[in-house]
Amino acid sequence: MPLGVSIPENEVKRYMGYRGPVDVSPETDAMIKKAVSFLEKGCSPKYVSKAFPVTVEGYSVKLADIVIESRALARNLAGCTECVLFAATAGMACDMLIKRAAVTSSAYASCCQAAGAAAIEAYCDLINEKIKSEYEAKGLFARPRFSPGYGDLSLEHQKDWFRLLDITRNTGIELTDSLLMVPTKSVTAIIGLSPDRLPCVKQGCEACTMSQTCAFSRKE
Amino acid sequence: MSLKERLGKEWLFCDGGTGTILQEKGLKGGELPETWNLTRRDDIKAVARAYFDAGCNIVNTNTFGANSFKYDNVSEIVTAAVKICQEARHEAGRDNDAYVAIDIGPTGKLLAPMGDLPFNDAVRIFSEVIKAGAEAGGDLVLIETMSDSYEAKAAVIAAHETCDLPVIVTTVYDESGKLLTGGSVEGTVAMLEGLKVDAIGVNCGFGPDKMIPIVKRLAACCSLPIVVNPNAGLPRTEGGKTVFDVGPDEFSSIMKEIASLGVHVMGGCCGTTPAHMAALIKEVSPLPFKEPVKKHGTYVTSFSECVEIGPKPVIIGERINPTGKKRFKQALRDNDVDYILTEGLKQEEAGAHILDVNVGLPEIDEPSMMENIVFKLQSVTTLPLQLDTTDIEALERGMRIYNGKPMINSVNGKREIIEAVMPLVAKYGGVLVGLPLDEDGIPETSDGRIKVAQKIYEAADEYGISRDDIVIDGLAMTISSDSTSAIATLDTVRRIRDEFNGHSILGVSNISFGLPARELINSHFLTMAMQNGLSCAIINPCNDHMMASYRSYCALMNKDPQCLGFINAYSEYKSDGTFGGASAGAAGTAASATSSAKLSLAESIERGVTGRAAEAMQEGISAGTDPLELINSELIPALDKVGQGFEKGTVFLPQLLMSADAAKAAFEVVKQSMADKPRQVKGKVILATVKGDIHDIGKNIVKVMLENYGYDVIDLGKDVAPETIVDAAIKDDVKVVGLSALMTTTVVSMEETIKLLREKKPDTKVVVGGAVMTQEYADKIGADAYSKDAMQTVRYCDEVFGVQ
Repeated sequence: MPLGVSIPENEVKRYMGYRGPVDVSPETDAMIKKAVSFLEKGCSPKYVSKAFPVTVEGYSVKLADIVIESRALARNLAGCTECVLFAATAGMACDMLIKRAAVTSSAYASCCQAAGAAAIEAYCDLINEKIKSEYEAKGLFARPRFSPGYGDLSLEHQKDWFRLLDITRNTGIELTDSLLMVPTKSVTAIIGLSPDRLPCVKQGCEACTMSQTCAFSRKE
Repeated sequence: MSLKERLGKEWLFCDGGTGTILQEKGLKGGELPETWNLTRRDDIKAVARAYFDAGCNIVNTNTFGANSFKYDNVSEIVTAAVKICQEARHEAGRDNDAYVAIDIGPTGKLLAPMGDLPFNDAVRIFSEVIKAGAEAGGDLVLIETMSDSYEAKAAVIAAHETCDLPVIVTTVYDESGKLLTGGSVEGTVAMLEGLKVDAIGVNCGFGPDKMIPIVKRLAACCSLPIVVNPNAGLPRTEGGKTVFDVGPDEFSSIMKEIASLGVHVMGGCCGTTPAHMAALIKEVSPLPFKEPVKKHGTYVTSFSECVEIGPKPVIIGERINPTGKKRFKQALRDNDVDYILTEGLKQEEAGAHILDVNVGLPEIDEPSMMENIVFKLQSVTTLPLQLDTTDIEALERGMRIYNGKPMINSVNGKREIIEAVMPLVAKYGGVLVGLPLDEDGIPETSDGRIKVAQKIYEAADEYGISRDDIVIDGLAMTISSDSTSAIATLDTVRRIRDEFNGHSILGVSNISFGLPARELINSHFLTMAMQNGLSCAIINPCNDHMMASYRSYCALMNKDPQCLGFINAYSEYKSDGTFGGASAGAAGTAASATSSAKLSLAESIERGVTGRAAEAMQEGISAGTDPLELINSELIPALDKVGQGFEKGTVFLPQLLMSADAAKAAFEVVKQSMADKPRQVKGKVILATVKGDIHDIGKNIVKVMLENYGYDVIDLGKDVAPETIVDAAIKDDVKVVGLSALMTTTVVSMEETIKLLREKKPDTKVVVGGAVMTQEYADKIGADAYSKDAMQTVRYCDEVFGVQ
């Protein structure tokens, strides 16, 4: 499949707003499967990545020609000597599918929307895994990936990612003046690399300072 | 000699990389390279000089990223770049055989509808650069590294509207031969040839070896000179630095191989240097040169699809047309874009290859409607479109904004019409339908029609439009008034193929006006016409009989490999004449009616069974029940029940939406039955996703719910400026405005919008929602209410409009 990875249906349901064990109607289930299979076939994902040396001093993170002030990121990167910045997108076809679905069925549109979100996450996991094993071979261990707009890492830094990776030219993702990305199913992130293997790092929703107010946070 | 005289007659060589060389001279990552035209003139000149010295004929100005998004002084920077390049050429002693190319790269912004840059703004931005470059004395415009054919089109139009210089366009494909936006090599070439550029090619992306399959495809479809400018291999990072691995010797030896594939201009891109170019020129210039050969394909394209006319009949969906359709006329008058889009999507699912778009109605502004519908259709369907209008302004606006190479319906043999339509086709490109009628009326015989067709072909020659891009209409006219008319039409279709080696088209259903059981005559006539060589059939693809004729014909005539298309369409066919399969699944409704046949209207809405809800409403109306009674006693209570469940947390969003969709489908039946009667509405509500924000799914859900509850919704879309919202509120004196924003960064625009509304339209209430919104936030920015979901918005509106 062109996406290169399968989209987990449970994640799709989470993004659709299902909480806990619920009975999904057969009609909804069919729609979810249709959206998932369409995206697995129809996505044309792209990514770009680049490695930089990194230093962390207090709550400041320094890499290339930038300094990032973020407590959460500094904590994530503590002990890292290198990092990989990357940007990935599920591509334009995904946005188009959602738009198209919205014309005829809001229910199907919400399936596509959720499947798109799960698709880009799954694709990022794939890249993440690739980077992780590539560096493990060199004796560097990857930290959980961290994105601008996540916790206290300001969305303003999107501009740095776009400049340092030449994202638009390499992947076709555009950064709007309001710092959003088009195609909408796109992610920018940093992965810290450290000579020390850290066991059991808190990650995902549990590590995010927004988790109390975020509607999509994993809360059981 | 001018470049135009030499292009395609002899080997010409472009320059290589600039950015990579400037980085070696100390350009920092993120520093804008074009500033060096003013601050480090000598370094820029040295690069150009080295390329002229290496023997390149076409050397780019350092203006790749020079546009008004990045610079306030575009014209100063571009003028300096051209002057520097001219000086370098003079110093190299190459004034007589080398050319200064005004280099145009992408703006860095995505064009609407995918991104936020309007097409005509892109044209304006490119025009500024090209105008400055042409005035400074540039010799050609080189539009390069385009990964979106739409942006390339904007740049070409800008070049042609600003100057008379030759235009070369090179695009970037991935390894499967696709642009980032999904376009193919063939589709891109068709569009650019239609736009009358002077040479077409490929650059950047990867090294020369990987370009070979793409160059082969280019050479197979392109009639113009072909340009190939690869990178020095794939870029790789080494300690934060970008490096390229293919050296001059390897580069030139692969380029030598490419030269023999039918290429005319060669050069390099990222990572290539003057040494690469010198080696390339040494290897390639002694090789024999083959001039470009005219190819004879006829292609209609969208941004991602490319439909070839000729190999097998093409189905053009006719349903986007108000003629004889009350509900469609109503949709045009109400600007009900979704209804029109749905008509398009249904036809796509039924198997149409191209959609005809006719939105002419005397009481509406057709040019604006055409532009808007073309734009909106292209944001939801990949099918190419046929622009069908007699309004020349509507035609031009549609063609300009169209992404790809459209079909145009139509021109005829009247001089006045030829003079209005053909210049547009010559400028924007398109496959043109020619009706063989003229000042003397419609010829009754095929002899007469062939004579007019001849006249149309000759007019195309006169305007420089390829005969391959003309499709002649056989003029189907009803046999109920003249029983010989089908014969004349079929003769015309066959003779267009045999005598002109040309393509034909028919509005098939015209043949049966005034007869009963029209689909029987229509479908048999379609088979006969295809057997006589018909290239394009304008039909209703949602009609089973028509598609049965088409699929059977393709299977019988070896145009459906292994009969796969036929088998897929009719695997569930019943011999009692019910068709099943292919055309049964209407757009987007995945929910098949499982044991839903006996559900009541209320039950089908509660359970979200779309098809049955519409059917139950129809049954009720047919039985004589007042539609409003059905709405109040069944539809609304059912929606309420689901809505309450949602508010309590026992029903989840997907179920709410399925019910909303079912209710919407039932409403559509009501609208159909009362298309010309005034509707009862509770009130008007404006919805918009605020400026800067592009996430509109939440807003769309609110829209569906409000409509179901009887509100008239003015949907202003996403990324909407405060002024637009305020103007719309004032224009229709709207009491409630709903605003949505997903991101903290765009809540600012929400606040601005509210401020402006308070100032200009203080009696309008504002309700806000969106992922980051909270009651506290809503209070802070001065909203009247916060809604956490669609149901709450409905409740709030009911409160404001005093509905119980």
